[in-house]
Amino acid sequence: MKRQKVLLLWSLVYVIYGFIFCYLPLAGWLMAFENYKPKDGFFHSQFIGLGKFKQLFVDDGFLRVIRNTLAMGVINLVVTFVAAIVFAILLNELKSQGGKKVVQTISYLPHFLSWIIVTGILHDALSGTGIVNDLLLRFHLLKEPLNFFAHPKYFWGIVAFANVWKETGWNAIIYLAAIVAIDTNLYEAAAIDGAGRWARIRYITLPGIKPTIIILLLMNAGNVLNAGFEVQYLLGNGLVQSVSQTIDIYVLKWGISQGDYSLGTAAGVFKSVVSIVIILIANGMAKRAGEERLF
Amino acid sequence: MKRKQFTALLLVGAVIMSTLSGCSMGASSKGKNAAKNDGGIKEFTYFVAVPGNEINDDNEIQQKIAEITGAKVKETWLTGQTAKEAVGTLIAGGEYPDFICGSEGSSQLYEAGALVALDDYIDKYPNIKNFFTKTEWESLRQADGHIYWIPQFNNSYGKEMETTHNDEAFWIQTRVLKWAGYPKVTTMDQYFDLIERYQEANPTMPNGTKNIPYTILCDDWRYFCLENAPLFLDGYANDGSCIVDPETKKVIDYNTTPTAKVYFNKLNQEFKKGIVDPESFTQKYDEYIAKLSTGRVLGMIDQWWDFYNTVNDALKQQGLEDLGCNYVPLPITIKEGVQSRWHTSGDTVNVGSGISITKDCKDVEGALKFINDLLSQEVINLRNWGIKDVDYMVDKDGLFYRTPEIRMQVTNTGYKASHMCTYSYFPIYSGMSQDNLNANKPEQQPNEFLSSLPKNVQECLEAYNSKNYIDMVGRNEIPGPWYPIYTFVGTMTTATPGGTTWIKMREIKQEYLPKVVMAPDFEEGWKEYMKVYETCNPKAFLDEVQPEVDRRIELSEKAAQ
Amino acid sequence: MKRATTRKKTSVGEKVFVFLNGFFMILFVIITLYPVWNTLVISLNNGTDSLRGGLYLWPRMWTLKNFNTVLHKKNLLVGAYVTVARTIIGTLMALGANAILAYIVSRKRFLFKRQLSLFWVITMYVNGGLIPTFLLFKGLGLTNNFLVYIIPGMISAFYMLVIRTFMVGIPDSFEESAQLDGAGDVVIFTKIISPLCKPVYATVALFCAVGHWNSWFDAMLYNRMNSNLTTLQYELMKLLSSVTNQSTSVESMKNAVGTVTPTSVRAAATILTMLPIVCLYPFLQRYFVTGLTIGGVKE
Repeated sequence: MKRQKVLLLWSLVYVIYGFIFCYLPLAGWLMAFENYKPKDGFFHSQFIGLGKFKQLFVDDGFLRVIRNTLAMGVINLVVTFVAAIVFAILLNELKSQGGKKVVQTISYLPHFLSWIIVTGILHDALSGTGIVNDLLLRFHLLKEPLNFFAHPKYFWGIVAFANVWKETGWNAIIYLAAIVAIDTNLYEAAAIDGAGRWARIRYITLPGIKPTIIILLLMNAGNVLNAGFEVQYLLGNGLVQSVSQTIDIYVLKWGISQGDYSLGTAAGVFKSVVSIVIILIANGMAKRAGEERLF
Repeated sequence: MKRKQFTALLLVGAVIMSTLSGCSMGASSKGKNAAKNDGGIKEFTYFVAVPGNEINDDNEIQQKIAEITGAKVKETWLTGQTAKEAVGTLIAGGEYPDFICGSEGSSQLYEAGALVALDDYIDKYPNIKNFFTKTEWESLRQADGHIYWIPQFNNSYGKEMETTHNDEAFWIQTRVLKWAGYPKVTTMDQYFDLIERYQEANPTMPNGTKNIPYTILCDDWRYFCLENAPLFLDGYANDGSCIVDPETKKVIDYNTTPTAKVYFNKLNQEFKKGIVDPESFTQKYDEYIAKLSTGRVLGMIDQWWDFYNTVNDALKQQGLEDLGCNYVPLPITIKEGVQSRWHTSGDTVNVGSGISITKDCKDVEGALKFINDLLSQEVINLRNWGIKDVDYMVDKDGLFYRTPEIRMQVTNTGYKASHMCTYSYFPIYSGMSQDNLNANKPEQQPNEFLSSLPKNVQECLEAYNSKNYIDMVGRNEIPGPWYPIYTFVGTMTTATPGGTTWIKMREIKQEYLPKVVMAPDFEEGWKEYMKVYETCNPKAFLDEVQPEVDRRIELSEKAAQ
Repeated sequence: MKRATTRKKTSVGEKVFVFLNGFFMILFVIITLYPVWNTLVISLNNGTDSLRGGLYLWPRMWTLKNFNTVLHKKNLLVGAYVTVARTIIGTLMALGANAILAYIVSRKRFLFKRQLSLFWVITMYVNGGLIPTFLLFKGLGLTNNFLVYIIPGMISAFYMLVIRTFMVGIPDSFEESAQLDGAGDVVIFTKIISPLCKPVYATVALFCAVGHWNSWFDAMLYNRMNSNLTTLQYELMKLLSSVTNQSTSVESMKNAVGTVTPTSVRAAATILTMLPIVCLYPFLQRYFVTGLTIGGVKE
């Protein structure tokens, strides 16, 4: 019980702050249960209960975008995660300090490009006359150019690749910070014991960054419904729209661009609830496994 | 020690912050929503819910206009949001600039009671009053009987001086027409036949790259390049979302007409022949423009404003004008004998949006006076042409013209920002100047238009006995007082079944029309498309448009009495 | 020391690994550098010429016009000033606030550490939406105010958790020995824990700084009407949306003014905004690349 006072006092400040800036705006969720009209404001718009949620869930289109969002969310989560960890570890194994610095600096540059630039280059590379088709034709893996964007089956893969391409270096920064925090004495001791590189990665590096991995994994698990909007919008077209549209695109199309804020809010509430449920489950699993957890 | 440093740092931070926020608040209370006298010049604010160019604060022509009118306006444009989103936030916040143009969010502003009714004021301002005819003013009344906005565009003074067909058409490169000896091309079959023959005879450009006979832009909302041709092919004017029959005044769905089936069947055949670009349905707007810019594309359907600016620049720069890569429109219909109505001349007022004055404006009369003053010929010349002897010259007959150097200069972005001030989203006249000599817009001045025209286009126009682009497709009168009905469809929302259908129709067409064109078996593809299309209940949409057509007709009849 | 041992142990497998790893890194560098390089090429190439496409590794028609267009944007200086201010102040404040919060919830002795964590974790997944937030900020007087860049986004559960994970990894013995010396929380946080957290502070500082540097939406939403509070990225966004055909409807496109090729200008703007943040990196990098020993105290 002792030594709580200072911490309690500090916490109080954070709770007040959080309440004002993060929880107070949630009053806006009221919009999801009414037919919000800007002129009437929150408190005078017509209350319609679960009407907007019903509207969402009877629409086949919405169920389809949930499927797309989940699929892309999970695929992206897995591949970007693995890519960043592998890259961080391999980078750390690079002997030359100079090489490390150069590679790392370059690796995170694509993070600063906007999606419109990255997707533009990707569109170029995958077009009928682009480099990918060129190579595939040259190695006789294809007989005639393949229009990758015309086939729904390639779309999720392309989005995943785009994410890895753009964000691996950036995502790796956190793991690199975690790796340097590992006590170097451990590596030296292991080396003396005759542990090879692989053993050092497996028994020292990976366990050393495990808490970071798990925390990030838990956090991102809650984000699978935020699979994005820009990439899918910029890469998609009419032919693949059945697999390319995400919840965010749906909301934009049916809610916001129609001035229907209630529908957008209802979708947002739905996403939040699902995210929190996922987080609670994931956190519970982590707890049972005796791992690091969020709370 | 360190702690002291930390505290010091925090203190410094706090000081910086307080000064910053302090000066910001000072500035904000000064410049906001207040038509304050600042050296005798009133300052208004204007938010335009479309993307646009900001001009510099010390813009020279803006200053000149301020000296004449006694007022200036700081314009802010849409950034990174849709018009409806931006308007929605404004309404929620309840604070408005003096002027606003809500674009697609206009009706939201009206419903929220954010706008000042203008009808009582209009009579006091002759230039504003004369800007529209009585019928047109009537058509601007909202449900409550008042007028809240003044549409800014498509208003010719005197006679119409339009030289370019700014709208949709089947376009073709002049080299194709020249090769065939400038034949008469009026039907879809002739058009594709000509392209096929040319392609067979000339499969590549002189530099060896392959021609692309026909490409279709299908990117998001720009898919009109694929979908709405049946409307024109049947000889109707561009009502946009549906056909309004001028005889029966009935609304017709152009997606299911026999012509639609014939047209898509044709595209399907051409796709199989390799005439239609296989990347048509996956290309993005940028890629489409890039293709046109290489001069490889022989023909396509598009709206002039959607491609001419960048494409014509690129063609010029690469010397492709000499090869005849510029585009001219053709009056294509489904079969001989159908009158083409790709171009309607005369002013079509977009009643759906315009400039409004908000209830936060402290000086409504001053604001209206400013709009009124902007419509005086002196100011119109400043807005459109610029400053005499700097941005244009006057010859001995009083005709305005520009030297090549001036033409170059006025397209320079930096020069535009520091010097030109068009107040582009304020009401503006096109057509003739009050001097009855010059065009209000430089690009419509006949000699300016001609000297800006590439040689190959001049030659082609001559061959078809045309003085400008419009003569190529022919002029038509506006079909009726409802025209164009798309100004109504643009305001439909998901709040009504028809509005919901409208979005669904679009979604279905975006997916199925490409499929139909690429289908191995057209009949089967078409059947499947029609089956899905019926599920969205197009009738709900048509049923909501019809009353609006009737209402507009009735309104005009009433005003005519 | 480490190098010496490694060299002694070099086996065939090691060599293969080193070779493959080096190869992989080179490949990786090429793949990730390409989009950036291509952007640079486009930014230095004539805009109209770029339209033709086929521009990959080297500019066809050199020009600095794209950069000129960007740099001639008015208000750029004001925007730069505000952006630098918000990046420095915002990053320091956010780092401090998140670090203290992480410190609180990483104390094993603190009774409500789980509840407080949960309280913040939830904020990552809920938000009230644009309009309620706007109304709140307006009510608090944060609109048309520089502080809107600093205060609302100060705490991020994400950063807090990243720092917390790091702090949890620090052996308790540090805190315990300090407590025996009579140190309070302020001293433990500033003198004991924080110095050990340099790598993670550097990471979070980088993330915060980049976030502040790149943000423009808050400027547009809350400070649109005040040109003294505009940010660099917002000014660039305005420039881009004025040159981009990004309009969503036929009607507004028809009346659009001055639509030119956006690709080149965007490329130039990207390169220009990337530069400062890339320059910042070497200062932070030493915290990542060189190892840090939590030496001394053994558990």
